[in-house]
Amino acid sequence: MSGGWKRARVTAVRVLARPAAAVSVAFLAVAIAVSLTAQWLLPLDPLYQDLVATLEPPSATYWFGTDELGRDLLARVIYGARTSLLTAGGAVLIAGVIGVPIGLVAGYFGGWRDAILMRVVDVLLALPSILFAMALIAVLGRSQSAALVAVGITGIPGFARITRAQVLALRQRDFVMAVEALGGSASYNMFRTVLPNAWSPILVQVVILSSVAILLEAALAFLGVGIPPPTPSWGEMLRTGKSYLYEAPYYAVLPGIALTLTILSLDTLGRVLASVLEDRREIVEEEAVPANGDDGARRGTA
Amino acid sequence: MTSYILRRLAQLVPVLLLSSVGIWAMVYAVPGSPVGAIVGENATAEQIQATIERLGLDRPLLAQYWSWLTGAVVGDFGLSIQSREPVLGLIMDRVPATLQLGLAAIVVGLVLGVPVAVISALVPGSWVDRMLSGWSALALGVPTFWLGILLILLFAVELRWLPSVSTYVPFWQDPVAALRNLLLPALTLGVYVSGIFARFLRASLLGELKADYVRTARSKGLRERDVVGRHVMRNALLPFVTIVGLMLAAFVGGTVVTEAVFTYPGIGRLLIQAIGVRDYPLIQGCILFILVIYVVMNVLVDVLYAYIDPRIEYR
Repeated sequence: MSGGWKRARVTAVRVLARPAAAVSVAFLAVAIAVSLTAQWLLPLDPLYQDLVATLEPPSATYWFGTDELGRDLLARVIYGARTSLLTAGGAVLIAGVIGVPIGLVAGYFGGWRDAILMRVVDVLLALPSILFAMALIAVLGRSQSAALVAVGITGIPGFARITRAQVLALRQRDFVMAVEALGGSASYNMFRTVLPNAWSPILVQVVILSSVAILLEAALAFLGVGIPPPTPSWGEMLRTGKSYLYEAPYYAVLPGIALTLTILSLDTLGRVLASVLEDRREIVEEEAVPANGDDGARRGTA
Repeated sequence: MTSYILRRLAQLVPVLLLSSVGIWAMVYAVPGSPVGAIVGENATAEQIQATIERLGLDRPLLAQYWSWLTGAVVGDFGLSIQSREPVLGLIMDRVPATLQLGLAAIVVGLVLGVPVAVISALVPGSWVDRMLSGWSALALGVPTFWLGILLILLFAVELRWLPSVSTYVPFWQDPVAALRNLLLPALTLGVYVSGIFARFLRASLLGELKADYVRTARSKGLRERDVVGRHVMRNALLPFVTIVGLMLAAFVGGTVVTEAVFTYPGIGRLLIQAIGVRDYPLIQGCILFILVIYVVMNVLVDVLYAYIDPRIEYR
């Protein structure tokens, strides 16, 4: 596995060599660190209501002002990051755990399994995701888990399609055929030989879907069908802030900046990662060395 | 071309059919009985009985789906729980508003996006190109609803030029009032559209500008304006139209969100209101309607594709 680490390090170095990606990674790292350690680092409570100080403009006590219930807007933005990260992580997990195996099975076996699975995936892919998520939440009722599941399901087609495309390309490679010829079971071959070589585009998809998931969660919250209050959420803050545009114009600005920077950072990272991995793949193809292949084939013999 | 369009329509049938099953099944998935979800909690015994008979809710599931589907196909989505009015009428009242917003946004997107794409494709790598590419990244990355809020803060709260809440005024009745109400929502949604044009039309143009026929056209002394306008643009539109098709879903979502920002009385807002009060027949009607519109837009993009590239029908 040391080869895997080395490749990961080389990829990371190449990604960070691009200034735009480096800035994005730095921003995301700070956002993740602050949101995870907020309760120890900062004396801020996102739920504490200072009812004599509602809709206060930014001041020494409340750096970014307070909301309509006298809650600290800075604290809510920081804890809102946690909601966004949780949604992104959860949605990617749901989409990946369901989507990747679908793509694996469809691409590996082909035939009727492929036809059925891909028809369903295509229908899901064809629907505008926000419409699908709203319909699902209308049925499940408004809750944190409903929002998570809705956003997660809309990510399944992306993973399934990309994994399938990878598997189709890898299926005919010598090292995969070798494992099959040596009597490796289909599930062994899929998960231990094919999947380890299909990681790069799946990784890119993880980053892209994180960005899409955060945007979708915020949009749902903004429409009033996302994660219910009092959980701090950027979308919900924008929704409430919109009601106080005249009394507190600063209200909707900070959560919007946080949301936009997060989405832009993830988009940038995703695009740079895709182009770096694309370059690397070309080199690999030229040398005709399978990414992790001989390793996998050897394990197949054992 | 007809056979090509028919084939594309046939491909959309499974999408619509599977979606219709999902939309129909909504009322069965919510807690409580489907009748309760369809007529509401405060319905009278007669209303309940009428609904059971209309949708055949005492018959097998497949028959129930069939009566719902045959109703939906002719536009009968039942009655709204809240207003007790036919769902179709409620939706039709909102169609012109959404249509006007969508068209205005596309116009804004064209006006802002096409020049950006052409200029940056003509001087690739220059500082102008990099600035304009930054603009398209921003236009695509900024969440529509936040951009809308910022525009309200600037033009309604600070400058007081435009209203912060937009109502629907038909353009041909009162163009001035219509524009006043439409400008901010159309700009909000249009900026996203312009981002699509700026990024993908640029990429498409760049690819075409390298082609041999461009060098030929230039070397025979054709003016740059004609090279780009008459030769390059037409070919660059092809890959670009495919992208537009892929971006339609985001456009539909953007319309729903924009209507919410400006409390604009379109179909998207009707859907949000319906979800808020759990008015299931209205929810079903809105979702199915938006879906059909979306599918029709997809077909139109394909027709456009076939029109730009006559070779398409032989593929």
